[in-house]
Amino acid sequence: MIRPLVQAFREPKSYIFVGILLCLVFLPQIVENPFVLHLIIMMLFYAALGGAWNIIGGFGGQLSLGHAAFFGLGAYTCVLLHLYTGLNPWAGMLVGMVVSSVVGAAISYPCFRLRGPFFTLATIAFAEVLRILATYFKNFTSGSTGITIPQNMGFANFMFREKAPYLYIVLVFALLVFLISYLIEKSRFGYYLQALREDEDAAESLGINSPMVKLKAAVISAALTSFGGVFYAQYILFIEPYSEFSLDLSIQFALIPMIGGMGTAIGPVIGSFVLTPLQELLRSWLGGGFAGLYLVIYGIILILVVIFMPQGILGLFKRKEIVNKETLPSPEEARSGQ
Amino acid sequence: MIQDFLQLTINGLLQGGIYSLISIGLTLIFGVTRIVNFAHGEFLMLAMYATFFLFQFVGIDPYLSLLIVTPLLFVLGLCSERLVIHPILNAPSFMQIFATVGLSIALQNAALFFWTADYRSVKTTYAGMMVPAGEFLISFARLMAFWAAVVISYGVFLYLKKTYTGKAIRAVAQNRTAATLMGINIRQIYFFTFGLGTALVGIAGALLMPIYYVFPTVGGLFVLTAFVVVVLGGLGNMTGAFIGGLVIGLVESYSGFYGATQLKEAVYFVIFILVLLLKPSGFYGIVGAEEMGEK
Repeated sequence: MIRPLVQAFREPKSYIFVGILLCLVFLPQIVENPFVLHLIIMMLFYAALGGAWNIIGGFGGQLSLGHAAFFGLGAYTCVLLHLYTGLNPWAGMLVGMVVSSVVGAAISYPCFRLRGPFFTLATIAFAEVLRILATYFKNFTSGSTGITIPQNMGFANFMFREKAPYLYIVLVFALLVFLISYLIEKSRFGYYLQALREDEDAAESLGINSPMVKLKAAVISAALTSFGGVFYAQYILFIEPYSEFSLDLSIQFALIPMIGGMGTAIGPVIGSFVLTPLQELLRSWLGGGFAGLYLVIYGIILILVVIFMPQGILGLFKRKEIVNKETLPSPEEARSGQ
Repeated sequence: MIQDFLQLTINGLLQGGIYSLISIGLTLIFGVTRIVNFAHGEFLMLAMYATFFLFQFVGIDPYLSLLIVTPLLFVLGLCSERLVIHPILNAPSFMQIFATVGLSIALQNAALFFWTADYRSVKTTYAGMMVPAGEFLISFARLMAFWAAVVISYGVFLYLKKTYTGKAIRAVAQNRTAATLMGINIRQIYFFTFGLGTALVGIAGALLMPIYYVFPTVGGLFVLTAFVVVVLGGLGNMTGAFIGGLVIGLVESYSGFYGATQLKEAVYFVIFILVLLLKPSGFYGIVGAEEMGEK
């Protein structure tokens, strides 16, 4: 586990990374503008959640659009435990991660048989069911009114008046997700996942226990996503089913690695650092007078990215490799003997 | 007691007819191209707006505006296929979903931008009209939508069964490679099917206008339900889409009455997941066809 990290530090690229990290650590000391701090928190937040999705979606090719389910489960578990039993949010976060892992495993295992659009549709349905249940059990979750978390500032309660502590927590979170992704990328487990993504039948015939490998990746991904849900709940101090379990959120999680480059550790980070500021800026420029215009542009950008940049931003730098690949027959062509 | 049950059944069947109507176009598109078209709901929304504006400014009755709205949507479908779907036909299904989600977001918000979020409806003479059937009263507009679903699904069924193009479409839905080997131009079939599917949702839009309000996000109410119906009935199967729609309508009606109204969606999403897991080919689909294009 240590070796890939040691090797990484021989490369000059990693010092750029460390430099950016140091800047982020000292940033709250220099910048006091809350909007800038909020923007950076959101960039790191989505980098982490995009990264969490990327573990099963990008490396494993199991393209879920239901990750908001784990996000919401984490947030609701933590907040409800805090409200009803007075459990500390940090402990609640761990419970939330366990709940999400168990639910993630229970749901993913049967769904992994489904391929392509059917897997994606099943994950959407699953998140929708959770959203409806969270809305329905009003006495317990206060339904669509949502829950305002009672303010009681302090580190022990995972609640702060300033933005800086949130920035540090989300920085640690993003770093954790990045490290896990990096280790997966360089490990045997990661190669298994990527082999499954490329051709499941071939990978199985080479002796990879595909359900087990996918399950592990799904559990890691669900647990990390759940952490993100808890962080967001503690950051805005309000939870509500429509925003916690929304399809838009699931789309956002998947979109970030897609923009940056799926199936790489750094992809989601690049994706979020490009997409999140772009979204925030578009929203603040066009959000005022022209209702909807910002999202029209967003939708069109989405279509253009899929058509012209299917490999994401990282793909732009790997053009040569892709051209070489195109001269080889695709697995389908090779099989049908065209 | 039995009275309630009968009334619920009638309501469920009528609501199911509306779901069938919307799903017929989607099952054609999803069944043939295997593209999860999230913009289907937005096509419905645009058809409803077109019907609304034709009524408001030209004074054309919604049922008559079918003749204008359907070709309009056919052309819209062809344009969307050329601009958005055609370039990504061989992309992984996930990329395709993102492209159609992008299209859906753009269309939805363009509607919001041009026509605001106001709820609009047409004031027809028959809007509140009830048809007596035995001791029950049935909404005229809903009955029309139901019969339209019957006629259209049967019409498309016959078209797919009898005509040359229809047979080619079915061939592509069943096995792409074999269809190509038989000399079918699958690109052309995709192009045409997408237009046809969109035209069918155009009919649905015009027929729904006397029943529902139109607003920019109206499509979102129906699109997930339509996917449930399509998978339940079996991909690309007209009879399946029709029966699937009725089943979902009935499930919604019964679970709303005997369970809780807010849970009705959860019930059919659970059914959806179970069908996917236990019988992924749906009621009438071809076994194994759901993996086509994935292997």
